Amino acid sequence: MSSVDMRVRIGELELRNPVMTASGTFGSGREYADFFDLGRLGAVVTKGVSLEPWTGNPSPRIVETPSGMLNSIGLQNPGVEAFCAGDLAWLAQQDVPVIVNVVGHRADEYATVAERLDGESAVDALEVNISCPNVDAGGMAFGTTCPAAAEVVRSVRAVTDKALIVKLSPNVSDVTEIARAVEAEGADAVSLINTLLGMVIDTRTFRPVLPRGVGGLSGPAVRPVAVRMVWQVAQAIDVPVIGMGGITCPNDAAEFMLAGASAVAVGTANFIDPTTTVGVADGLERFCATRGIERVTDLVGAAWKNQ
Amino acid sequence: MCTEVHAPAIEPVVVVSNERVAEGVSRIVLDAPRTAGAVEPGQFVHLRVSRHADFILRRPFSVHRARDGRIEILYQVVGLGTRALEDAVPDDVMDVIGPLGHGWHVPEGAHRALVVAGGLGAAPMGMLVERLAERGIDVTLAQGAPSAGRLLARELFDSLCSRAIVATDDGSAGLCGFVTVLSAEQLERDRPDMVYVCGPEPMQRIVAGQCASAGVPCQVSLERLMGCGIGACLSCVVITHDGLKRACVDGPVFDAADVVWDTGADPEGGR
Repeated sequence: MSSVDMRVRIGELELRNPVMTASGTFGSGREYADFFDLGRLGAVVTKGVSLEPWTGNPSPRIVETPSGMLNSIGLQNPGVEAFCAGDLAWLAQQDVPVIVNVVGHRADEYATVAERLDGESAVDALEVNISCPNVDAGGMAFGTTCPAAAEVVRSVRAVTDKALIVKLSPNVSDVTEIARAVEAEGADAVSLINTLLGMVIDTRTFRPVLPRGVGGLSGPAVRPVAVRMVWQVAQAIDVPVIGMGGITCPNDAAEFMLAGASAVAVGTANFIDPTTTVGVADGLERFCATRGIERVTDLVGAAWKNQ
Repeated sequence: MCTEVHAPAIEPVVVVSNERVAEGVSRIVLDAPRTAGAVEPGQFVHLRVSRHADFILRRPFSVHRARDGRIEILYQVVGLGTRALEDAVPDDVMDVIGPLGHGWHVPEGAHRALVVAGGLGAAPMGMLVERLAERGIDVTLAQGAPSAGRLLARELFDSLCSRAIVATDDGSAGLCGFVTVLSAEQLERDRPDMVYVCGPEPMQRIVAGQCASAGVPCQVSLERLMGCGIGACLSCVVITHDGLKRACVDGPVFDAADVVWDTGADPEGGR
């Protein structure tokens, strides 16, 4: 048995290991329970949940790109009430911390959803999504200016004491400004990166493949961008960073932690191999053990702390 | 009918053979004992063609036949994934997630079935026709293709169907025209208890309409771009009268009467 201490903290929340799921790539975990015990994960981060049901975007909703993919799902979800009655009730029976991703068109919608979820004991933390590029109102619009990001976080912070994570957009000129703005409003952690805005044009039809034109780029293609942003943000703020962007193997996860992430999330790779998350968690433990690292937290920011 | 449902699993598979079976269409046979033993007609596998290419997603393929611990897939080279698949040689190792999805339903008491296949839509019909024949159901097959050289699985269909009639776009075999002409005639003549359809979506929509007019239940197998294949990513949605469904877990086979065929651009008219 390995003696590596894999526990990490995100605000008041202690996780058994630093590996979680990236919102929107894991449903609410039910689909993956056929493949492994969710209790082996640090946390499950659910798909985005809004106040009312959202139907999402027209098809096609995805297109493959070199070492990645664009998605334009558009946050299809059944609304917070149906979520609580269905997926959350199921998740409450699983032995894994639950982080619910919260979306809205307006700041007060985020707050209403957060307030509703604050009353649910099965919810361990909220991840405020101000970075989805696939909706017209809300989403990324809140994550690209400091005042808008601050407004959403302030309104959610006012209604919940649960651990509050803010998911940041990479589609900004200086991600550290946004990170500082949400930290100042009481965020317990930030997670990054959400997808990069991209486009694919079909050269047969002369039209963008995705009906909305743009989509969010994810997968291994974005990893160097994500690692760079985690490196920047981790040095700019005091609260923990959850790093993600193209993680497919334990080494990728270690890279994010060395850049300054206290925890990591696996996204697109869940589509390729539904067991990726547990493979990354087990492999990260081996990564530490073979190097004589006693606590996984010793990796955090080691790429710059010892310079 | 009580069909045992097998949970999907990841199974490493070994290529047994990979060869052309018609113009532009190949058949790959994979050694996949778990999947072959569990798969039901109309279900699919999510195949990881290559671990080292710069395309990362799996590809969904219907299982054409499953026997002796092996599954057969019919595929057409249309992009990066199928091009790589075409290069596979015996003993190559890949992996599948399967069996996945909701397959064909064969109702108790059915006596006559009409199976309508357009082009590669013949792929999910192999296991179906075998199942219908096992149940002693009289099967008429109406098959369409661009030309005679692109008609798939002729031997299998001829051996198991009471009638197998064809239409080709260029008239090189059977009727010169669309398979929807044949389906209309057969609906009138045969009065089947159930119609099964797979092929290009406009053709499926037309046959679904013919069945609705004739008052005959109809099932269709729909194709969508898929991400995870297990119901999580919501990439492969199908608009139905009961809201958005996922082709990967709620389908790929749907009751044609549930499908909103006039797809337009925006699900449910947008928000």
